[in-house]
Amino acid sequence: MRKNIWFKQIITQLILVIIGLYVVLPIWGIARLAFDGSLLSRATEFRLLPKVFAIDSFFKVLDKPYQSVDFLILIRNSMIVSIGAAAIALILGASLAYAFARFRFPGQKPALFILLLSALLPPVAFMTPLYILLSILQIRTTLLGLTIVYATFALPFCIWNMRVGFQSVSKELEEAAFLDGANNFLSFWYVSLPLAMPLIAVAGLIAFLMGYSEFAIGWLFVSKADTVTLAMSIYAMVQSGNAQPWSMLGSLLIIMSIPVIVIFLILQKTLLERMMFASPSD
Amino acid sequence: MNNKPFLKPFFLSISVLLVVLLAWGLRWNALTTLNIDYDEDDYMRAAQEYTTIFRTGNWTAFLETNYRPEHPPLAKVVFGLSLLSLPEKPLIGDHPTTSEPNRYLPRDLLRNARITSAVFGTITAGLVALVNPIGGVFLAVHAFTVKYVSQIMLEALPALTSLLAVLFYIRWKQHKPKKETRLGWLIPSAIFLGLTASSKYLYCVAGIAIVIDWLITAVENQETKKSISKILVWGSLAFLVFIITDPYLWADPINRLNETIFYHAAYSSGASEVESAGFPLWQPFIWLMTTPKAWQPNSILIAIDPLITLLALFGFSRQLKKQPVYAIWILVALIFLLIWPTKWPQYIVILTAPLCLTASEGLKGLFIEPVVRLYDRIKNKNRSIKIIEPNNFKKALPWLIPGLTAFLVFTLLPLLFQAGVSLTDFNSVSMKDGLNGGIFREVWGGLAGRIPPDNTEFPFRAKDVNYIGTSSYLPVFDYIKSSGILFFDIFWTFLSVFLQSILGIGVALLLWQRGVQFKRGWEALFILPWAIPEMIGALMWINIFAPATGWLSLGVEQYGSSFPFAGLNGWEQTANLRLVVLLISGVWYGFPFMMLAASAGLRMLPTEVYDAAALDGANSLNTFRYVTWPMLMPLFIPAIIIRGIFAFNQFYLFQAFRTGETTLATLSYNFFNVSGYFINGQFSISAVLNIITIVILIGFVILLNRWSKAGEGVTYA
Repeated sequence: MRKNIWFKQIITQLILVIIGLYVVLPIWGIARLAFDGSLLSRATEFRLLPKVFAIDSFFKVLDKPYQSVDFLILIRNSMIVSIGAAAIALILGASLAYAFARFRFPGQKPALFILLLSALLPPVAFMTPLYILLSILQIRTTLLGLTIVYATFALPFCIWNMRVGFQSVSKELEEAAFLDGANNFLSFWYVSLPLAMPLIAVAGLIAFLMGYSEFAIGWLFVSKADTVTLAMSIYAMVQSGNAQPWSMLGSLLIIMSIPVIVIFLILQKTLLERMMFASPSD
Repeated sequence: MNNKPFLKPFFLSISVLLVVLLAWGLRWNALTTLNIDYDEDDYMRAAQEYTTIFRTGNWTAFLETNYRPEHPPLAKVVFGLSLLSLPEKPLIGDHPTTSEPNRYLPRDLLRNARITSAVFGTITAGLVALVNPIGGVFLAVHAFTVKYVSQIMLEALPALTSLLAVLFYIRWKQHKPKKETRLGWLIPSAIFLGLTASSKYLYCVAGIAIVIDWLITAVENQETKKSISKILVWGSLAFLVFIITDPYLWADPINRLNETIFYHAAYSSGASEVESAGFPLWQPFIWLMTTPKAWQPNSILIAIDPLITLLALFGFSRQLKKQPVYAIWILVALIFLLIWPTKWPQYIVILTAPLCLTASEGLKGLFIEPVVRLYDRIKNKNRSIKIIEPNNFKKALPWLIPGLTAFLVFTLLPLLFQAGVSLTDFNSVSMKDGLNGGIFREVWGGLAGRIPPDNTEFPFRAKDVNYIGTSSYLPVFDYIKSSGILFFDIFWTFLSVFLQSILGIGVALLLWQRGVQFKRGWEALFILPWAIPEMIGALMWINIFAPATGWLSLGVEQYGSSFPFAGLNGWEQTANLRLVVLLISGVWYGFPFMMLAASAGLRMLPTEVYDAAALDGANSLNTFRYVTWPMLMPLFIPAIIIRGIFAFNQFYLFQAFRTGETTLATLSYNFFNVSGYFINGQFSISAVLNIITIVILIGFVILLNRWSKAGEGVTYA
């Protein structure tokens, strides 16, 4: 019996190692590029480890990753755009989410259907009209324009998730507030909003990540160097081909991924629920 | 209808009659108008040889006659019989299979032989209608079937006999003879299977389906031993019939059988026409999702094959419950077509009969029953008690107004605007006019009827925006259908989500075992791909797979073909390997989500059930099959749907890899991109594609709603 357990453990670990290799392989490939100081452009030979171990590409990237644009400007643009988009989506979406969660009104079911549908559309489905509308408004190439684009991508998703957040706050608590003389807004502000805050924050975080890692649609809208975001600079580096050492691309990818990975590791359970559109009580 | 039992047979015979008329009309039109296709001249020659034998009475010649011996003779003999009434004509020349079809076959011979085919095809449709009239209609109009059963091809006869073999088997299953030893309806089933084999081997997949269904039923009823002996008798009888009806085998059975088998192996791997066709592994699916209408529009009057396939997809699980043998037949045939290296379109006829029956189940489940339910609900509305919900619209109003305004401005307005753009020819050249109000002018004018739709040619390059109505919808839909992009998108969705689920559930189960070491560490590692933004993950895989500069090709260059996975090098050149590489990257990115969803589900399962199962002495496989799986599935379905929608919309992976296969989202982006490598700046085409995507997703969401109601314990919509 004991032997059997050992055998099972070894087989299990062996399979896990194989899957682990599959998971690690591409990450390793990028890390090997990032730490190789000998690269002039692309890698020209197969190596598992860097030829010359160096970390200066990380410093170079943190200074000027793409052409002559400062890292600080890129990260600033990224933050403006993605925090702005998340904030717009949360603030504008909150009241609709609350209405959906708390009240019954005519046309609610079809409206929910449209909301869910729009939350499931690919960003590309919004790209065409936004490009034209923002061009008409002449703000297409500005950071404001990009913020609006990303806010549009995130809005339906945020409304859906905040609705779930408000639903999870028990109605009785609000009713207690009513008895104490609070009106609708006061009970929303002092009861529902604080209690739903964790879920709202997670919805905002996902909205933030959408803007933080989006690049393809960004490049359609933006043309000037001073409105480029960090994610977009990665794409530009790939496009520029052999112009600069690929160790810089590797280190930028790593720098960009680390904060996201940390967030995901900490919040994995909640993020999973939010991404599955799950609601605790419905 | 239950109180009028005589009505049922009446309606059935009327509908069978109508199906037969419809089938015959379409086949007649096809057989009189279709051009002479590859192989038709060959089979005509074969038929003529048999006609001569019948005329001269030189019966021993049967032993040595079988032109194109890779296929058994029966169907060719039947063609030969059909030519007996006509005056003799010189024998058609012997050409290699690769040469262009002989366009100058004698018309009278051609017509007689084709009519013979079409008669079999019509009977097949009528038989299917007998089982299920809607299925019969589907088979009557199925365009690929119509085409190939109206030509001198070997499809029509075995399609009929294989269906008969299955129908008689079902008949036996439902009305087993009282005496255990009697075979009853199994006898005709075996005879028809044997006849199938001596017409075209491929159609014997129906026989395999019968055996599988038989064995499953036997295991369920715990009478395996009895059943196996019966299967052996049935199989031997079929084989006997095959030998009797294939006189060509009599003279030298083993060698000639061998010859046939080796011919197929060599043909599929070496023949130049197979290679030059260059079909990917999944080409049969593409045949099922297209129609031959474009080849000869006047011969194919109705072309709804893709719809039939989609309905069959939705009806599959219903069919599996109702009459599993049809579902198994489809599965076995598909597996066979996938592995079979030759991918001619006519091969799909081996499964169109069960496909159409299953499609009718899909139609019932998706449309007919919901409509009937709705009708019942409306009829019974007055009788049922209405639950009055508190309708606090007034209270909701202050909350609705700001939120709804934002939603309208940010979400609905762009979508409506997009619908407007899709009705124009707006492109990067007419940008200036469009931005200065040209779009509004044209769309309003067009919708109000003031501006007639313009006829402009694609690619749109007009300087001013023009209203063109819905005229780009059909060509765009045709394009994504015929280029295989729509099919690929759906295929990709199924395949990648399937593999992600398998790997995700597998890993979750491994980690869920008691006492696994480093559990937390493994889990943290496996989450990584999920946490890495998709486009970065795609770039990581590009770094490995990039042609010439990626890890793989550098490694192969340095270490030769002994390098691990060297077989994948050069993946960009064949469709099969492109799919493999895309799947490797897509599954890497997607499986962690599935793993997390599965582990979350596993944690919710009650442990008492397992203790009970252990007490009952269930082994681990049975515990999984009967305890874990059924309880996990409802918890896991939401994850499958969400990932399915994500895979359908997948964008960055395809944008990074730039292969010929893409999703609709990537295609739309490429049509739009002003500085792209594609026909660029076609804003209105991109809008049309997006509207099509939205329509497809509406279907998805409806299904999602239905499944979420079916899934116990989990509600999320």
